[in-house]
Amino acid sequence: MQVNILEFWPRILQAINETLIMVGVSLVVAALIGIPLGIALVVTRQGGLLQNNAFFKGLSVVINFFRSIPFIILLVAILPLTRFLVGTSIGTAAAVVPLVLFSGPYIARLVESSLLEVKPGVVEAAEAMGASPWQIILRVYVPEALSSIVLNLTIATIGLVGASAMAGFVGGGGLGDLAIAYGYQRFETDIMIVTVLLLVLIVQIVQTLGNVLSKKMRRQ
Amino acid sequence: MIQFENVSKVYEHNGKELRAVDGVDISIEKGEIFGVIGFSGAGKSTLVRLVNLLEQPSGGNILVEGEDLSRLSKPGLRKMRKRIGMIFQHFNLLESKTVLHNVAFPLIISGTPKKKIKARVEEVLDFVGLTDKAHQYPEELSGGQKQRVGIARALITSPDILLCDEATSALDPETTKSILQLLKRVRDEYNLTILMITHEMNAVREVCDRVAVMENGRVIEQGSIFELFSNPQHPTTKNFIQSVMESDIPPSILSGIEERGGGRHVYRVTFVREKAAQPIFSQVAKNYQVEVNVLFGQITELQGIPFGQLVVELLGEDREIVRALDYIQRTVSVQEVEADAG
Ligand SMILES: Nc1ncnc2c1ncn2[C@@H]1O[C@H](COP(=O)(O)OP(=O)(O)O)[C@@H](O)[C@H]1O
Ligand SMILES: [Mg+2]
Repeated sequence: MQVNILEFWPRILQAINETLIMVGVSLVVAALIGIPLGIALVVTRQGGLLQNNAFFKGLSVVINFFRSIPFIILLVAILPLTRFLVGTSIGTAAAVVPLVLFSGPYIARLVESSLLEVKPGVVEAAEAMGASPWQIILRVYVPEALSSIVLNLTIATIGLVGASAMAGFVGGGGLGDLAIAYGYQRFETDIMIVTVLLLVLIVQIVQTLGNVLSKKMRRQ
Repeated sequence: MIQFENVSKVYEHNGKELRAVDGVDISIEKGEIFGVIGFSGAGKSTLVRLVNLLEQPSGGNILVEGEDLSRLSKPGLRKMRKRIGMIFQHFNLLESKTVLHNVAFPLIISGTPKKKIKARVEEVLDFVGLTDKAHQYPEELSGGQKQRVGIARALITSPDILLCDEATSALDPETTKSILQLLKRVRDEYNLTILMITHEMNAVREVCDRVAVMENGRVIEQGSIFELFSNPQHPTTKNFIQSVMESDIPPSILSGIEERGGGRHVYRVTFVREKAAQPIFSQVAKNYQVEVNVLFGQITELQGIPFGQLVVELLGEDREIVRALDYIQRTVSVQEVEADAG
């Protein structure tokens, strides 16, 4: 028995909403964690502004650890932590925790690579002018790398859209959950096609926005 | 004023020591343009970077305006660095910011009030001739214009010292000239001390008062431009001078000399000061039974003093030539040119 798409529309809207919330909230929290960590990776490394070998190596190992766990395993493995942090281990809010743990370290690496593109000569010029390490981070590294950081955050966002589709496992809802629940498990092909098309559309919009914003940031 | 006293910088490289700067003694006076020339890897960049402590010296003392920077606290060092401007081969401008913001940067990080910054930026942009480019971005500028932005940025804090690391090496000859003239104007109008690093003798000849020649981390020779050009001691120095004086005799002329067979008398005559203007050879031709054949020559000016080299052939009886040579040698320096000298 086929479900009428029009009748089903409110359910789809709700799923879109859940996806956007999951991705949006996770992105903001992950960026708040990942960007400072990415900066820390660049300034504490050998020859960096605030070189600190032990800190750099420790942070690097921790980030690699989280980056090496497949998302689906992370999702299940941290259920107790999720319950502790948000009071429940199911639902949209609960999905945010694994998404942040998945994408925060990823963003740290992406930001690191963006910052490493900043020409060392420009950093050195600022040092020669008597800028402090903080001034160099905020007034040289970040503005010079911003365009590239925005592009990389776009990549991270699209990664989050994909990962959020798996969050159905913890009852996170969203478009991915809908596609699996109806399209895969109940053979509602129409719904599967619609939700996948919507995911494609979201990814296209995110990438386009990212490109535009990145281009804007090249000249501030 | 910058003083290097027995300064060394040693890098560890795979357990091996590399003496990038080795026992350097240089004293640069206030208001002087001092050049350091050397081939790539000689240690020039390391030497300038020691001045504002971008590199820590391994030994010796460096005094900038009488201050030993390595004894300052971190904030003290940052304050001192604001008195030392620096410009670079690849300009090192913020690509994401306008010319105006780039030039204002040193004042922004000092917390200078906006109004003051604006007035000062206008002043220095006017000085370097870029008033109309204030709202453009570095990538929209030519190399010469970017270096002018670099100079404006270095000048905005009214420093006592300007360090230039290969400031003209990425520029074409015409632009190089205009940037060098600008540096000269900077010195003349602000009485700055300029330390200029380069591998181009032309740049040194154009603007420097004194120069040190570096090789393998050591200063092998130093003195006024004039001393160095008129009486170079070290082969490397001679090499650099030849690079701008074209004092090598072209092969076509050398082979011409050979064709004429033995018994030829070819000399390189170096003129300095007013002697360059003296009609020595016309006197020789008048007073001795010799003919003077000028094969090749170049006359230039160093620090406002005429300086030149001529390659001449003397034709005549051996005895007369010896007498003529004797006469010439009394006023200018003469060197015999061998046929295989080329
Ligand atoms: N940070 C560094 N670590 C190790 N070796 C260095 C470093 N900086 C420069 N050197 C070495 O020191 C020598 C002098 O370099 P440099 O001062 O850049 O020469 P120049 O500017 O005259 O070309 C070179 O052999 C270079 O490889
Ligand atoms: Mg160099």
